[in-house]
Amino acid sequence: MYDLAVIGGGPGGYVAAIRGAQQGLKVILVEKDSLGGTCMNRGCIPTKCFFYDTTTLEAAKTSQVITGAGTLSIDPSKMVARKRHVVNTLVSGIEKIMKSYSIEVVQGFGELIAPGRMMVRRANGLSKEYQSRHMILATGSKPALPDFIEVDGHYIQTTDDALDSDDIPARLLIIGGGVIGVEMTGIYRTLGCEVTVLELLPDILTTEDADIRRAMLRLFEQRGVKIHLKAEVKEITLRDKEIEVAFEDEVRGIEILRVDRILVATGRMPVLDGIDTGKLDLKTEGPFVKTNERLETNLPGVYAVGDVIGGMMLAHKASAEAEAAIANILGAKKEVKPERIPRCIWSFTEIGAVGLTEDEARATGRPIRVGKFPFMNSGAAQAIGNVDGFAKIVGDAETGEVLGFHILGTHATDLIGESVLAMSTESVIEELAEAVRPHPTFSETVMEAAMDWSGLAIHSPKKR
Amino acid sequence: MATEVVVPMLGITVERGTIVEWLKKEGDPVEKGEIIFIVETEKVTTEVESPASGVLAKIMVPVGIEVPVLTPVAVITEPGEEVPAKYLAPPLEVAPPAAEVSAQGVQVFAPASPHAVQIPSDGPIKVVPAARKLAQDKGLNLEALMGTGPDGVILFRDVEVALKAGIVPSAKVSTLGRRLAEKEAIPLEGVKGTGIRGKIMRADVERAIEEAAAPGLGKIIPMDTMRQVIARRMSESSVTAPHIYFFTDVWMEPLLVYREDILPDFERKCGLRLSINDLLIKAVALNILDFPLLNATIKGQEIHILPEVNMGLAVALPSGLIVPAIAHADKIGLREIVRQRADLVQRARIGKLSMDEIERGTFTISSLTQYDITYFTAILNPPQSGILTIGKTREELTLVDGAVKEKKVATFGLSVDHRIIDGAVAADFLQNLKWKLERPVFTFLNL
Repeated sequence: MYDLAVIGGGPGGYVAAIRGAQQGLKVILVEKDSLGGTCMNRGCIPTKCFFYDTTTLEAAKTSQVITGAGTLSIDPSKMVARKRHVVNTLVSGIEKIMKSYSIEVVQGFGELIAPGRMMVRRANGLSKEYQSRHMILATGSKPALPDFIEVDGHYIQTTDDALDSDDIPARLLIIGGGVIGVEMTGIYRTLGCEVTVLELLPDILTTEDADIRRAMLRLFEQRGVKIHLKAEVKEITLRDKEIEVAFEDEVRGIEILRVDRILVATGRMPVLDGIDTGKLDLKTEGPFVKTNERLETNLPGVYAVGDVIGGMMLAHKASAEAEAAIANILGAKKEVKPERIPRCIWSFTEIGAVGLTEDEARATGRPIRVGKFPFMNSGAAQAIGNVDGFAKIVGDAETGEVLGFHILGTHATDLIGESVLAMSTESVIEELAEAVRPHPTFSETVMEAAMDWSGLAIHSPKKR
Repeated sequence: MATEVVVPMLGITVERGTIVEWLKKEGDPVEKGEIIFIVETEKVTTEVESPASGVLAKIMVPVGIEVPVLTPVAVITEPGEEVPAKYLAPPLEVAPPAAEVSAQGVQVFAPASPHAVQIPSDGPIKVVPAARKLAQDKGLNLEALMGTGPDGVILFRDVEVALKAGIVPSAKVSTLGRRLAEKEAIPLEGVKGTGIRGKIMRADVERAIEEAAAPGLGKIIPMDTMRQVIARRMSESSVTAPHIYFFTDVWMEPLLVYREDILPDFERKCGLRLSINDLLIKAVALNILDFPLLNATIKGQEIHILPEVNMGLAVALPSGLIVPAIAHADKIGLREIVRQRADLVQRARIGKLSMDEIERGTFTISSLTQYDITYFTAILNPPQSGILTIGKTREELTLVDGAVKEKKVATFGLSVDHRIIDGAVAADFLQNLKWKLERPVFTFLNL
């Protein structure tokens, strides 16, 4: 009998297992593939490897001082090999940590038979049942595909395939202008692909602030990405090593596009293999497992965290939920507030954001004031040679509450952390402005945006 | 002969005062009635007059130390007179390590060691020691405060106001929580923090606001200073002064008609609106002249019949009760009574009474005529010996010469300190007052 059985070893599952073991629970975790889940194996970490490789290339190519820029290129097989090495290092690191806590990690396919009962089928065909007082479902997600698209892994890929491919297509169509599509656009375009993006909605990155979206679209244009908004794929035909895509653009009508590869980035869906929601009478919300704020499903003692319950599909959201679920198992009443989960995107540059967009904030009816600071005015940005970007703070004009923070530019994803801290400690914008930042760093842009909120940015000219 | 200067009685709910400024130095000549120091309490800051003429020979309590009222703080001698030896104990220092006992055996609150309070290096915060101690006890950062004393000195009251307003240590409440508490005037003292290490978060303040708004059961309300003092003084009064109670019904028509009769002319002549309360104040004051024992206070083994009749009027405030007194109510005319009464009540509501106005009362009237209350008893307002209560004026049927008549009556109650006032005296007082009120034309006739 275990205290805790975790199905899934991603950033939701393994964090739950470690935190549970730290708190004295006897923990078993079942993972069908490799520890680290999508994040480590097929998501965050591989894309970040590629992002930094391609960003380094771009920086070198556009450098005014490095010579020989014209001959610089990336060896895709080396890029993929480096990624594999990074992933292996991290996965084995997690394995060691799990072992240090005496967490029983079972390689196999976990099935929830009933609350407290889990059947594990191993690769060798043997099955064994485990019993546990509490269970956490952390089975994650997988690419969601429109039903008319068939992924073959070469011509038509999802990120699962793309992040392990070392052949780079000359012409690439990315279907979907959400976070995944925008990140893959940055990587492939910088590698030299001709990239076209089709997005069904009127804008890319629809969850982000309007200024952020506009700035990212401008970068797309500058870097020569073709983008079609309100565009719908009608037909995909494979013709002798070339794909013919018919799509309907709201403005220009039906168009035909010929590419060498299609990357489908149309969102993700929960993995429910081994969780028969109908048979278990497990409640769902849309395709996702339904939980209350405390991450409890309707089955007694069964919690669910991460992508499988929907919301923002982010590794750190899954980890935060895992920690909250463990606290709740131990008797606390912990919730994870979505407005305090940072959102991070790596494309031609970085986006770090948390909380409400300006439009969302204004829609609340509260008095809103915005502060903004362009990277152009940052000494650090000038020194690094990349001045694309800005920091933007959205606050309650009366209380000084930080409602949202939006940063686009170099290090934006690192910079967003301090705003998250300010929000979770309920600090106010004046405090964000007052804390001294080291010079010359990008962190000053956060401070200056917070100062600008009060009309007191130092490195901005006087407003008229 | 040497005269002691004491911190004056500062009203029913005031027990301590802090001298914020000495206007005279040791050795200075002083005239009786000349202002010699300024004292601050939770309620008021007031100037204190010299009780005698002579030389300010010795100051025993320096600026900044909080002492109970009636604590001797200085001695005035006649020119050439030696300071009596008992006053020559070393003066209280500004920074003794802990609470000390003064020469008179009264507890004197002094600040704890100064190094425990953080003082910024760019210049010391000016703060009276009592305020510093309170701030330190409550973990309040004095840097956040603006002093209202002379030269921006932070006074005891400033710290109290800050604490009430919810300026509690920044580590213990989130900034958003504090701002909300300030906006909604929610005291943070009783709010349970659910944040990390018990930090009070905004949600905790929101809950406190909700609880404060809900007329709910099962609440715990921390007493503020005013309430604590009221609680202590009321139970002291109730325990030390054995109360006896008397009631009589007063026929109110004559007084009501009398007022109606003179109201227009009074208003035209004086520009003031005469209320029934004003007539009652005057009548009770006149009645006291007939029964001076009701204007007395006990001092040791003596009954002191006070030289002035100052009529206290209980004024209910949202946070408690305050009793300003109309001075010389026996001597002054109705015009002056109306003027004083209106002014005192108005200033009581905005907290702008002087200490003298709260302290000088010798008898109290507590009226609930606005309520549907027939009669009630009251606890004496120490050190007074009598308090009169007035219920609602009601209509009753009575037999007059064998016929049933409608009459307007109000029940008057009298609580007295039975240690010095016998039942018969109290009964006579009340009966005499009834006679006066039922014959207003004669009562208010200035013979």
